[in-house]
Amino acid sequence: MKERYFSTFQLILMALFAALVVVAKIALKLPLQLPGHSGLFWMAILVVSARVIPKRGAASIVGLTSGLLAAFLGLGDFGALDTLLSYTLAGVGVDVTVFFLGSPENLAVAVLAGLFGNMAKFLVKWGIGLVSGAPLGFVALGLARSLVSYIVFGALGGLLGGLTLIALRKAGFFTYLEEKR
Amino acid sequence: MKQRNRIVLAIVILLVFVAVILGVDWMRRMSTNNPTGTVTPLPAGSIPILLNGDLVAGFVPADLDKMKKVSFTDAAEGKLQDGWLLRDVLLLHIAAEHLTPDAVITITSTSRGKTAELSWAEVQDQANMVMFDLSNRGTLKLVSQLPKLDMRDEWVQDVDRIEISSP
Repeated sequence: MKERYFSTFQLILMALFAALVVVAKIALKLPLQLPGHSGLFWMAILVVSARVIPKRGAASIVGLTSGLLAAFLGLGDFGALDTLLSYTLAGVGVDVTVFFLGSPENLAVAVLAGLFGNMAKFLVKWGIGLVSGAPLGFVALGLARSLVSYIVFGALGGLLGGLTLIALRKAGFFTYLEEKR
Repeated sequence: MKQRNRIVLAIVILLVFVAVILGVDWMRRMSTNNPTGTVTPLPAGSIPILLNGDLVAGFVPADLDKMKKVSFTDAAEGKLQDGWLLRDVLLLHIAAEHLTPDAVITITSTSRGKTAELSWAEVQDQANMVMFDLSNRGTLKLVSQLPKLDMRDEWVQDVDRIEISSP
């Protein structure tokens, strides 16, 4: 019998991470009026998922699933397509970074994975705006400010994810996963 | 390739992304500022204000310094919306005699195909909090505490036109 790419246990974990992304988006609100600040929790969860499920595409599937959930819940300012694509591409961004740079247990990799994940989200919003003919930003430096904010919160989210992974390793979580396998 | 080199490469790719995004934005601003070799009256990103079909002014970034910032927490998502009252924007540019209680103010987003029609009486009442909030990509979003404008679907994102029909 052909072995499945993801085990049932991994699929359940991915569904849980996807739900966690949406719950974090709804429940964990920081009193910050800065664009992309939700990336702090969001990227942390994606970075953790990319290591806890050590298969290529895991973070992308977490992103896609959370995007579907978020689109049905009506999250996001710019419609369902924007929500679905930005959640999915955030996962793809994390996956691609981890694929090229290695395990996010290395904090530099975790920071970059979070950063590229949040940047992918920004690119979707910016790209859709460009394609749909959205007006230019009202404040000239608005876009640069947004960009910096996305980068900072993405990096912080990645760092939070990396620290979580280190804590999980110390707690013996990865040994437990190996035993499960 | 060593991991250190790959990390450096990733940072270079990031910088390229940033440069491309800012470059495209800068080019769009330049082309909007000077579409046919002549300078248009409104800076790029500004919102034209029309009175009975005639362009009378523009809501420009310099106006922000002349207005007080306000905020409220929206009922839909419990999110803080902060920005500038539409009332203050209009009072900056339109003579008071045109702003009668039954004057209709239409806020439009061409790219999203959305409009909101409000009377001056609704806009003038500060309790309604009819205001512009800056969206993540720096465009203006019309939000309010009015029942017809208090949900995300009812907000007008990417506003690019303000029109007043005064009887």
